Formats: sequence, structure tokens, C-alpha cells
Amino acid sequence: MCRKLLLPVVAALGLAFSQGVWSQDIKFAILGPMAFVQGENHWAGAEMARDEINKAGGISVGGKKHMVEIIKIDTNEIQSVPDATNAMERAITRDKADFLIGGFRSEAVLAMQEVAMDYKKLFLGVGAAASKLGLNVEQNYDRYKYWFRAAPTKDVDLARTLFAVMGSVAAQIRTDLGKQVPKVAIVAEKTAWTEGLIKAAQANLPKMNMEVVGLWQPSAVATDVTAELSAIKRANADIVFTIISGPLGIVLGRQMGELELPAVAWGINVEAQKDGFWQATAGKGNYVSTLDTYAEVEVTPKTIPFVRAFKARFHKSPIYTAATYDAINQLKVAIEAVDSLDPEKLIPYIEKNEYVGTGAIATYDKRHDLVWAVGKTSGIAVEWQDGEKVPFWPPQTKGMRPFKLPKH
Amino acid sequence: MKGLLALPQWLWAQLRHEVLVLPSRSFVFFAALLLLLLPLAYDDPYVLRIITMTAIFAIFAASWDLLAGFTGQVNFGHALFFGIGAYTSALLSHHLGWVPWFTVPVGAVMAMAAGFLVGIPCLRLRGSYLSLATLAFPLILTGLLFAFPNFSGGELGISGLRRIVNGTVGNYYVAVVLMLALCFGMWKIGDSNTGLIFHAIREDEVACRASGINTTRYKLLAFALSGLFAGVSGALYAHFLRVAGPSSLEVALSFQVVIWGIFGGIATIYGSVLAVFLLYPLTEILASFDIFKEIRLLIFAVIVLLVLLFMPQGLTPWIRDKIEVVCPRCKNRNVFHRHQCRLCGAELR
Repeated sequence: MCRKLLLPVVAALGLAFSQGVWSQDIKFAILGPMAFVQGENHWAGAEMARDEINKAGGISVGGKKHMVEIIKIDTNEIQSVPDATNAMERAITRDKADFLIGGFRSEAVLAMQEVAMDYKKLFLGVGAAASKLGLNVEQNYDRYKYWFRAAPTKDVDLARTLFAVMGSVAAQIRTDLGKQVPKVAIVAEKTAWTEGLIKAAQANLPKMNMEVVGLWQPSAVATDVTAELSAIKRANADIVFTIISGPLGIVLGRQMGELELPAVAWGINVEAQKDGFWQATAGKGNYVSTLDTYAEVEVTPKTIPFVRAFKARFHKSPIYTAATYDAINQLKVAIEAVDSLDPEKLIPYIEKNEYVGTGAIATYDKRHDLVWAVGKTSGIAVEWQDGEKVPFWPPQTKGMRPFKLPKH
Repeated sequence: MKGLLALPQWLWAQLRHEVLVLPSRSFVFFAALLLLLLPLAYDDPYVLRIITMTAIFAIFAASWDLLAGFTGQVNFGHALFFGIGAYTSALLSHHLGWVPWFTVPVGAVMAMAAGFLVGIPCLRLRGSYLSLATLAFPLILTGLLFAFPNFSGGELGISGLRRIVNGTVGNYYVAVVLMLALCFGMWKIGDSNTGLIFHAIREDEVACRASGINTTRYKLLAFALSGLFAGVSGALYAHFLRVAGPSSLEVALSFQVVIWGIFGGIATIYGSVLAVFLLYPLTEILASFDIFKEIRLLIFAVIVLLVLLFMPQGLTPWIRDKIEVVCPRCKNRNVFHRHQCRLCGAELR
């Protein structure tokens, strides 16, 4: 009787092992607002990384290959901070994630960071820009050293990029139009996050030999800004410096075109980063430009293949939260280099070594923030030109095309 | 020896004659016991975290019920008190380095003071006008916090706060024990003469005044007490999450508490508590199943709608009416299968 049972049991066990029931996959929890585009890109980037790594045989640790398992964790962080912390706890204690990647809303990520640090789990942030996250590392290294900012650069560095591009745009206006002191109109949606950037713009632009002709702050959900744009037109502005994250970006782009405003829009316009911007503005969004992360340009040797593969698979361009792809691959490199999953061994490696990703060439400072450098971690700038999103900055990057000014 | 036995005998008598005689009280007793014993048998950190958050929100929901349910002052900006408790405790802890055992009570007192101050302009308003006016207060406070970002932390709030106690189990007991004590306290207030006057104000304020009751004083008292309890929950929230941010003042939180209060049954206290214990973990449980992850908020909304459609008085009054009957003579409650009132002996049916 026992012998009769033995064979099926052994066969079942063998099958179970071959199916990976007891295999030791390395688990990456991908945390993000999965009902929103940011979370979708978190997940899409992670799926690409998983498939590529597993297709190549997995991650090698201790002479054994381990498959990558990604766990989708919906943090619901845009709507609820407690939900985000609960999700983080679930990822760590229930799903037994080895590594944590993602996050988007800064207030929520600060709370999620606390949970991750309680459990001493490596948490690679992909989405939140708040400086405080890195400041925590500097102020209390022993507790917060498990945090690294994989993307994007911190908020202060985003501002540096904005002004660097602004300088480039102003230089072109000086050369092409002969205006030595370009006029800038600041248009910022009326929300708290824009306040710091407005002050920085008002302080820095005159130092950059530009004249600020005024500040306009329409509601973040305004559906008409013709009054503001008419005033900007009368002020003879050459550049409309936009600080907009919501649908106002579409309204502004469309109405700039309708009014034939002889100015370029440059700044943050999240809607203009999306592929559907041209259609949403009914083809009027010419000369609207914005910060962006991914385009078919050679920020690094990996950028173009990644963007093409992403577009082929998901039929849309990646946004910056798709850098979960880089975060997983960066950890793979680190794990294989130190031959361990132990955060205490991985942290010194990540701190000291440069990682060439798809959106940036990452090196870390003492806050575990990306070291800002044009062409390395600064991201790119794109401009809508006749229905096409054209990357134009940094100009030295291979694949960049000329920035165009509207006809005067 | 006889003296030693007297206390357990008295406790048993109380339990038998006051608690175990009614299914609703028995349920509350055993639920409380279960909550207190749970970590001894099952110390899953995720489950304990969810129950800790649930307990904190239960205090918050019950505090809304004390004001809106009992007194009829329907507050659409209850997050104000929650946020004041959270921010006061966080600011004191962050700027002055005070310990949470001290900052939490101070946060609660500040929220109570806010309740009193908010109550003054609201005295002249009734019904939907009052509700809309209260909706504005958290928005005003949010604006003030954003105006002084160096002090308040701006849109990120204040993070890295100290926990009240270390460890998941410790925090669980702080939240659960406080929830049980404060909700019992609120229930006792609702059951007292003051609670009776609150009820009377809600039903007919003019008649109440005609009876010689200073309704202004009692309405302000309701605002202040409600603020006090909401402030405790806000301060606990801040130290548990280790963050006090603008989300603690969000309009969504103010509406969430209204949903909990109405779902559970207004003017009950225990109704709001039960509602939070059912609805808050529900979304988390649904999130554990892949097929429900994407539609969990939709399921949540459908459940709330169905309950309110078929149980317009709320969940707990509906259940209570099924399992208990009210004596037509003495108005005391009896278990549904009794034929005679347990207190006055009147025929029940």
C-alpha cells in the first residue's frame, strides 16, 4: 500500500518543484496608484523588466538562478494616505516582498517610507520628488538608509532643469528674434505645489536677463483662460512659463493656438507629456513644450530600445514612473555584484556604483538622491511641432531636434 | 475570603443582568473581548495595523455621531477637528520635541477649543446652511497651513513623528483601549441627561428652549465634546502613521465620516463604530483578492447604497429591531423571543 502511494507522492513533489511551488523567486513589490496612469506605468515598466530578466535566466545569487516575481500593490495613495501605508505593510508582511519599488504622491510616500524603514526593507522610490525623502537619509542615516530615489530627481533639481532649458529657449529667442531681454509670463495653476516654483522663477528669471511681465494663476480645473492669454498677448510675452499638472494644460495649449499667441509655452505641463495631447487640443497645441523623461533619443544607450519595446508592447509612450524598469534592473546588477539579497550589503554597492538605466545615468549623493547632471539625470524637454512630440533638450544628446519658435 | 469574592460576584451579576440579557450588549461585550485578546492569539502585523487604523477612525466616526446624530448639527467639515488634533500634536512633537503622551491630549484640547469656536458662528445656522458652513472650515485651515509652509510643512505636512509606543502590538493596544474607553464615554454621554437634551435639540429646538433649556450652551458643548474626541483620533492617527499632512483635513475624510455615521445608524455611537469596523477593513480585504482589486471601491459603494436603500435608519437599528423588542410600558429592551418584559413584566406581544 505504502509503495503504491510512494510513486504518486514523489511524482507530485517533483512536479510541484518543477512548477516552482517551492522555488525561491525574488519578490519585487510594485507600489503605485494602479487605477491611475502613474500606477499603470509603474506596473508596465516592472513587467518589462521581469520578462526580460526571467527570459535571460533570472538573477544569480549564491550560484543559483532565481526568477523575478513582481507583486502588484495598489496603494490608492492619490485618494488615501492610510491606504498607502496599509498597502506597504501588506507588501512586506503578507506578500513577503524582498524589495519595494514605486510610490507617487509625496505625502503618501513619506508615510510609506516610515513603514519600509521600520522593516529595514530596501525601498526604491519611483515617482515622488519631495526633497524631504532624501533629507531623512542625511539626518538619520541608520534608519533611512534603505531609501533610494530611483526617479525622478528631487524637486529642487527639477527646478534646475526647468531653468536650464529656459536659458536655452531664451538664447534661441535672442539669436533668432534679436530680443536681448525676452519677456516671460508665468502661468501656474492655483495649487500649493506651484508656490515654490513661482517664487524661484520670479527670483531667477531677471538674473537670467529675462523680464517677468506678470503672474497668472487660473484654477487648476479652469476651462477657459482666454482672459489670461489675452493679457499675456498684450504684454508681448515671448515665453509662457507653465507650471501645470492638470487638465488646465490642455486648455492653455488649445487656446494659445486659437489666439495665435506669438509665444512658446515652456515649463511643466503634464498633459503635454501624453501622446493624446495633440488630439486633446484639437491640433492647436503647437509650440507647447514641457519637461519629460522618455523619447527616442539616446539619453543612455538603453533609452531607445526601451522606448521602442514599451511602445510596441503597450501602444503608448512610457512616462517617468515606468522607471520601475530601471529600479528592478539596478537591483539585479547590485544583487549579482554582492551575491546577496541582504540590504546591508546592497546599500554600499548602490551608493558607490554608477548605474546606466534607460532614463538616467544614476549616481547617488549622501541623501540617496540622484546626482543632478545635464544629460545624465536631468531628463529631457519636448516640444509639440505639427502633431509630433519633438525632443529638443539637452541639445548634445544624440537624437535631439531643433526647437521651433512660432512665426511672428 | 468573603470580601475577596464580593467583587467577582458583583461583576458577574452586572454582566449577567446588564450585559448578557440583551444580544446587542452581548455582541459589544464579546467583540471588545475579542479585540483585547486578539494579539495574544494572532499577531499578524498587517491585520493588527488595519484594526489599529479602524479603531482610530471608529473614535472619529463616533465623535461625528455625537454632534450630528444626537444634536442634529450635521457637520460636513468634521475633518477640521481631526486635522487640528493631528497637526497640534505633530507640531508640538516636531518643533518642541514633546512626547506623544503629552502632545496627544494637548491636540485633543485644541480640537475641543476649535469645536467651541466653530460652534459660535454655527449657532445661527440650521440644516443644510449649517452643513455647508462647516464644510468651509477645514479648507480655511488648509489654506492657513499652506500659507506658512516653514512652520506647517506645507503640502507635505510633518513627517518622521515619534510613535506613541514602539511595536505593532503596543500601538494596537493604545488605539483599541482608547477606542473602547472613549466610545463607551461617548455612549454614556448620549445616554445621560445631557444626551437627552442633545436629542431634544435635534427633535425640536424651540420646544426645548420653551422648556427652559439653554440650547446655545448645549450646542456649543456638543461641538466642543465632538471636537475633543475627534482631536484624540487625529492625534493618534498622526503618531501612528508618523505623518500629519493636508490629507488629514481633506473633504473626502469629512464625507467618509458622514458615510460611516449614516451607514451604522445615527445617534447610536456603537452604530458608527460598527460601520467603521465593517467598511474600513472591507476595502482592504477586497484588495487581497486579485479579481476585486480594481473594483473594490465600486463594491464598497454598492454595499453602502444597498444598506441605505433597505435599512434607511442604518445598519445597527435595523439589526437591533430584529433581535430585540421594546417594552410598550417601560420602554426597556428585551431579547426578541421573550413574551414578558424582563423588568416590568408587561406583555411584549
